[in-house]
Amino acid sequence: MTDGVLVDRPARAGRYRSFARRNTALVVACGLLVAITLVVAVLPLVLPDPNAPDPARRLLPPSAEHPMGTDKYGRDLFARWASAGRVSIGMTLLITLCAAGLGTFIGLVAGYFARAGRVIMRVVDAWMAFPSIILAIVFAVVMGPGMLSELLAVTIIFTPYTARVIRSRVLGLTTRTYVKAARVSGMGPWKTLAVHVLPNTLPLAVVQCVLLSAGAMLIDGSLSFLGLGISPPTATWGNMVADGRTYLQDHPTMVLFPGLTIALFVFLLNVAGNALRAFVDPRARLLLAQRRRR
Amino acid sequence: MTAVVLRRLRDLVVVLFVVGTVLFFLLRSIPGDPAQVLLGTKATPEQLDRLRRELGLTGPLHEQYLHWLGNVLTGDFGTSIKYQLPVPQMIADHVVPTLTLAVLGTAISFLLTVLIVSWAAVSPHNPAARFVGRAAQFGLALPEFWLALIAVYVFALTLGWFPTSGYTPLFEDPATAVAQLALPLAVLVVGQTAFLTITMEESVLGELSQLYLRTARAKGVGERRIVLRHVLPNSMLPVLTTAGLNFASLIGGVVVIESIFVIPGLGTMLLGAVYARDFPLIQGGVMFIAILFVVVNLLVDLAYAVIDPKVRVS
Repeated sequence: MTDGVLVDRPARAGRYRSFARRNTALVVACGLLVAITLVVAVLPLVLPDPNAPDPARRLLPPSAEHPMGTDKYGRDLFARWASAGRVSIGMTLLITLCAAGLGTFIGLVAGYFARAGRVIMRVVDAWMAFPSIILAIVFAVVMGPGMLSELLAVTIIFTPYTARVIRSRVLGLTTRTYVKAARVSGMGPWKTLAVHVLPNTLPLAVVQCVLLSAGAMLIDGSLSFLGLGISPPTATWGNMVADGRTYLQDHPTMVLFPGLTIALFVFLLNVAGNALRAFVDPRARLLLAQRRRR
Repeated sequence: MTAVVLRRLRDLVVVLFVVGTVLFFLLRSIPGDPAQVLLGTKATPEQLDRLRRELGLTGPLHEQYLHWLGNVLTGDFGTSIKYQLPVPQMIADHVVPTLTLAVLGTAISFLLTVLIVSWAAVSPHNPAARFVGRAAQFGLALPEFWLALIAVYVFALTLGWFPTSGYTPLFEDPATAVAQLALPLAVLVVGQTAFLTITMEESVLGELSQLYLRTARAKGVGERRIVLRHVLPNSMLPVLTTAGLNFASLIGGVVVIESIFVIPGLGTMLLGAVYARDFPLIQGGVMFIAILFVVVNLLVDLAYAVIDPKVRVS
């Protein structure tokens, strides 16, 4: 027994290590993403209330006591940064899940049912011609700015992109013999889709999710900045930048930190997403090899 | 070729119909009465009623819709409620600043991209060239609204090189106009260049793995010539498409930059129209942007056919 363990352990550790060596960018990016998420998830538990004003300590520059300074009401900006992270990352996840889910569903249906697919794709094209920020603004005005209107608007903006990618994958899958065999042996179209087609599109959908979440975080930031997303006093990284705008001249750090965090987070998501693409897309794998060779 | 153009024109009609219809019903579900917004709280019910009738806001929804559709089909895009000007004229008044930003932004970032990626492609052993891809990924991650504020802080507030905001038509006072356009353009160009660089780098790498290059090398063609004469021209197609798509999306998508730098473009106009419940203006503005989007796509496709013989034949 002990023999087995002794032999097994180094072998497995070696496998992990060689995976990490071959995919340094992916491992580092994912590690940092998890680290940032954990930090903003845990910090609000130990930091002071992000909405507690303190008129005696207004507009302080960064110091040991207030690492990011304080705002016009004397609220600790570090505590706000951490709680904003919860909201911004949470919103990004929620948007991504909704858009990827809906997009995958539309892509599956449009790819599998040829005739309906053509009509659906025409609609999707029209959908993409809609100026996205304007759409979000219209929703914010129709429903009042807030979580629900933002979720709806951004989901609508991102769904067509996933739908297109998934559909082109499904189009390639439907001509496979195992899909045809399933149909011929009497399996219904929906069951075939669920059992044979969907699992084969999942890896691609996951990669889409990661790349999409980068875009979602950026647009969530823009909407919050314009005052069309989640509104104050709840802090988001986007509305913290908007709050700091008034004090740009004297307190540039109020704008600097939250925006920089968005930039870093989006960058890591892009790096991770592109590294993951190599696992599902042979063309991306080829590019990666080509890049290494040079 | 004619068939392609005709098919695209049909698509354009479909797109416009869908966009227009969806928008019509979406806008009618906005809470708040444009007549009330326009006349203020002191208006009498009679005044409100008259204005509503003038604006085509009375009667059941489907009647309003048919009324609107009929007007559009006869070329009547309505009158802006807030400014009392025909919608096409409103668009014409606001389109120049946006077009200036979009055209210059696209052109500059296209040139920059070609320069950067060509340089990286001919100098593969330069360590800096290896980081072009990563740098582009970082550039793409910078939130526009944040980058704009940081640029204002550094170049306008601290160094004082450029004004913080404002807009002057380019031909009225070129010096002021260029100074005012510099920062918004720079912010736009960072994002656009990052996007195009990623596209072009991928395309170049894909082209580098083609087998015809081996033939060229075997014939003794120099590495530099291979890259400049074969790889770069052959990898331009995706870059052109992306530049075209980006240009189209810029027309409706420079809202954030326009609002930070106080530029009276289409984005600012639409933002104001939404807040004022100016239905005809929103409707016309969005449809104009959709038209432009589809037309630019068509032009990109036609450019494809001109550049690439493969597309022309099929």
